Amino acid sequence: MKGSNKVRFMQGNEAMAEGAFAAGARFYAGYPITPSSEIAEISARRLPQLGGVYVQMEDELGSMAAIIGASAAGKKSFTATSGPGFSLMQENLGVAVMAEVPCVIINVQRSGPSTGLATKPAQGDFMQSRWGTHGDHGIIVISPSTVEDCYYLMIKAFNFSEKYRTPVVFLADEIIGHLQERVVINDIDPEDIVTRELPSCDPEDYKPFEIGESGIAPLAYYGSEYIVRLTSSTHDESGYSNSKPENADKFIRHYTDKIEKNKKDITIVRKYNLEDADYAIITFGCTTRSALEAVEILKAEGKKVGILQLVTLWPFADDEVLEVCNQVKGVVVPELNLGQLIREVERVNKKNIPIVGVNKVNSLSIHPNEIIDKIREVEKCQR
Amino acid sequence: MPKMKMEDYLIEKKLPFFWCAGCGDGIVLSSILKSFANLGYDRKNTVVVTGIGCWGKADDYINTHTFHGTHGRALAFATGIKLANPKLNVIVLMGDGDGATIGGNHLIHAARRNVDITAILVNNFNYGMTGGQYSGTTPEESYTITSRYGHIEPSFDLCNLVEAAGAPYVARGSVYHVVQLQKFIEEGLQKKGFSFIEVISTCPTHFGRLNGMKKAPDIMRWIKDNSVSIAAAEKLSPEELEKKFVLGKFADRDIPDYSTKYQAIIDKCTAKAAKGGVTIER
Amino acid sequence: MKDKYQIVLSGVGGQGLIACGSLVAEAAIIYEDKYATLTSSYGVETRGTFTKSDIIISGKEIFYPEVIKEDIVLSLAQVAYDRYIDKIDSDAILIYDSSLVTQIKDSKAKQYGFPFTDLARELGNITVANVIALGAIIKMSGILSQESVLNAIKDKYEEKPKVMELNTKALEKGLEIAAII
Repeated sequence: MKGSNKVRFMQGNEAMAEGAFAAGARFYAGYPITPSSEIAEISARRLPQLGGVYVQMEDELGSMAAIIGASAAGKKSFTATSGPGFSLMQENLGVAVMAEVPCVIINVQRSGPSTGLATKPAQGDFMQSRWGTHGDHGIIVISPSTVEDCYYLMIKAFNFSEKYRTPVVFLADEIIGHLQERVVINDIDPEDIVTRELPSCDPEDYKPFEIGESGIAPLAYYGSEYIVRLTSSTHDESGYSNSKPENADKFIRHYTDKIEKNKKDITIVRKYNLEDADYAIITFGCTTRSALEAVEILKAEGKKVGILQLVTLWPFADDEVLEVCNQVKGVVVPELNLGQLIREVERVNKKNIPIVGVNKVNSLSIHPNEIIDKIREVEKCQR
Repeated sequence: MPKMKMEDYLIEKKLPFFWCAGCGDGIVLSSILKSFANLGYDRKNTVVVTGIGCWGKADDYINTHTFHGTHGRALAFATGIKLANPKLNVIVLMGDGDGATIGGNHLIHAARRNVDITAILVNNFNYGMTGGQYSGTTPEESYTITSRYGHIEPSFDLCNLVEAAGAPYVARGSVYHVVQLQKFIEEGLQKKGFSFIEVISTCPTHFGRLNGMKKAPDIMRWIKDNSVSIAAAEKLSPEELEKKFVLGKFADRDIPDYSTKYQAIIDKCTAKAAKGGVTIER
Repeated sequence: MKDKYQIVLSGVGGQGLIACGSLVAEAAIIYEDKYATLTSSYGVETRGTFTKSDIIISGKEIFYPEVIKEDIVLSLAQVAYDRYIDKIDSDAILIYDSSLVTQIKDSKAKQYGFPFTDLARELGNITVANVIALGAIIKMSGILSQESVLNAIKDKYEEKPKVMELNTKALEKGLEIAAII
């Protein structure tokens, strides 16, 4: 019976690794860190079975560098880490932005700052995932709230990465990473797997940063007929260093534009009970589950409260959040940090409805009652 | 295969080099490109990976696949490239600040891990590009812009370091001894496993200027006069050896490289998978 | 039968509480087509400090994966017993290892002590005290069928027949010592 209906009992970290393999990832470089280590352990065991490679690097700087190198050599690549390691990866994450090399970075968030509480959850890297590496850039950040998400959204993460030639951060948290629950694993249609666009021009004419019709430059791999010059320096279309102001302007804008202008394609949100809601909870990651429980309890009381779950955290879902702010009388934003997502919600809240945070940094999850209390607080603002 | 020339690997339209007059980088670059030609390297099967620094600009002139990474991390980028496609020739160009100071950890681990990469580290004893600050190889008591009163830190002997870390091929040459240098580079390129070639080089603009060797010939002479072979070095006392450059081959041994060993694991695992023994782990 | 069960397995690190919890959840999901979640709380150390696993079993999708109101609490250590004994309601049950929990207090909840560790020692391996306790829980609460848990044990140890046999015996021992309540 086991496995026949593909119902499984899986851990979030395990599902992230299996999702990556299903997406076609065949290279992992990483450095062990709680609470992400299971991803490394599973990758070490599974990748050689799939003809892929696992390598444990000397640190997270090296891990990030190695996945970029491997991706440029033609293997879909990923790494997994947590706060301290994510901080160390930031410099080379910028290389993936600048050289436009697809790769996926999993951050299973833990309580910080610094070493913090290694086994305890947090959502304190929401802003770091957007702005962690220096310089202007766009980036895609995806956040799961179920173990099934860890599998299926990982495939999306790789697809976005390949389609837009960009690093994608998979921003999980300790609760989802270590949660074990029921998942249904379906076969993935090969057509649902995206692989980077390869050049079709004459090899002599190939320029690795020449933006094609799709808005993205086709990327050849090392060892192919097309000579590929990749660089962390500001460069021209051919990949040569170039310090002309107009060239810098063109490419730096491109890194942001290629993400922001494709927001419609990249943005994933989920709406629960929002149709006739009087109040809304805007969430991401593990706090979505607390919010869902709270909504169930409130529903029993006859209260109309809905949820907007941001699955794509960046680029930010301005339109979807604005729509909710225009509809409801008040918003609660629960997060395991001192107010990062709420800043973005406040930014797009043109109608100036009350927006209240539930902010928790004591290493525990947000109890549904804590959200319910805030909903009551927002209700009072109306009277 | 047609006989290849150095020029086949050089991007001539990018000349002249941006390096200062008297800099050793051009000498090392031509030794490398001549070695590529002598070995008939297919430039489409060759990736040159560079770090940051004067020598890290070398990829601008090389007509193979290139990857210009971050300061100190060239070996880590190269590790990913080589492991993802072991058929590629992967050559890493680093300076002393780049490869042996900020990137020192990657250097010893790359040597230990024994990935089949050839690393060519040009040692000019200081950070040239940022204005001549001291690095991990700046000789004690010498002067740099950040050691104006004489450098008080001892320097790394990189060949000893990399040999101790386990690299199968380790050699030190100099930009004065070009015939020997090219021999080392060709041997390193052909060696299966991690090869490390340190090149003693010149920076007249910064290190030379502050140490009484403002002109290129002065600093060339300094290298020539202070270079000794391994055999000659064995006869010298530790005091006599101080401030000498010991040139030669420090290691040339056969050790199975990472990709070969990893492929054996893949073969074992995929054979098992083919028999139906592998399912999603629970 | 209730639609949703909230179970806490508590003790100290190294007692196999997470492994035990995964047997319960796996049995519920794979063999009874239910939803189940398992979360664990533990210190940085692998062994010795307070540890608990929260298991929720439900016929519907489970949102908040932590136990809000305990139905069943298992305590395999004094430190774990002390943490729950005053907290749990009258409709909950607390099952403890009387080999290790010696200071018993009055409680609103019904409590039952069994010498799980001593019984495990009799079976030749104290590490299966958790599975004996699991047998007792299944028998007393009826949350899962015995067959489902036996099947989950078979799956988990399919490549280790000796371990499978030991765990099966341990489960049977637990089923034997407890009574349906």
